Amino acid sequence: MVLLTRKIEFAASHRYNNPALSPDENRRIFGKCNNPHGHGHNYTLEVTVAGDPDPVTGMVLDLKDLKEILDREVMQRMDHRFLNYEVPELAGQIPTCENIARVIWNLLDPQIKQGKLHRVRLYETPDLFADCYRNGAEGARTQWARGHKPVR
Amino acid sequence: MGSGTQAGAVKVALGRRYRFAASHRLHNPSLSEAENYRIYGKCNNPYGHGHNYVVEVVVSGEPDPATGMIANLTELDGFVEREVLEPFDHKSLNEDVEAFRNKVPTTEILCMEIFWRLKAFPMAKLERVRVQETSNNSFEYAGDREEGLER
Repeated sequence: MVLLTRKIEFAASHRYNNPALSPDENRRIFGKCNNPHGHGHNYTLEVTVAGDPDPVTGMVLDLKDLKEILDREVMQRMDHRFLNYEVPELAGQIPTCENIARVIWNLLDPQIKQGKLHRVRLYETPDLFADCYRNGAEGARTQWARGHKPVR
Repeated sequence: MGSGTQAGAVKVALGRRYRFAASHRLHNPSLSEAENYRIYGKCNNPYGHGHNYVVEVVVSGEPDPATGMIANLTELDGFVEREVLEPFDHKSLNEDVEAFRNKVPTTEILCMEIFWRLKAFPMAKLERVRVQETSNNSFEYAGDREEGLER
């Protein structure tokens, strides 16, 4: 098995605010990420696909195909967008690095037909990233949890 | 509310990088001077030398639906600050850190020490620690004394 990684960058804005919580609680939990008009980042996305090189082409998958998938599923959806308002897949979720990475995983996974999606790594800054891997088990939908204890 | 993603289908982990500067000397007192120099080379120079270390900490868990977070970064930052950065930054690892009194502070040993200090983080599961000694050397440890962490 060989791992192939492609990197793209996009710029987007977001805001952390849970409407189920009070303004004070939002401020306490999210700090400046709760500022009312949002803020932005240059995100770096690394997408890793695992597979055996095709004996004819020597490729795990055609990089051109992967580039088109990333452009369609990620760039066109998220680049230069306000993630809270303009990306329907993130509606009802706090657009943290963790949640954005998982949304990207769920967008890409069904599109990768050659090889298998192995890892999605999303850098929000050079010092902060989220990784997604396959877990096997299906789980419940993520949604606002009213009264959920926010800080563990 | 909204089109949430399927929690549990993927494993999500959060990685954060921290930095500290410290000095060390690689020297094993049970070996001869000549042997120490042969093994450790210039890292055995008597007064030590330093590095800007980068520590990459990866924790995993289910993002809290209310916050979207695996672990609140303020809490993770505070924990790493208290357990690693405050005791190590601008210190001599050999002289100032009790854990290295009887161990050679190679970055392998340092990486393991940091892992076990951070393992106690109560808010998420520590997956691994990677310590970069220079831009060309890095060391990674995911624990091997507990079930499920063997590598």
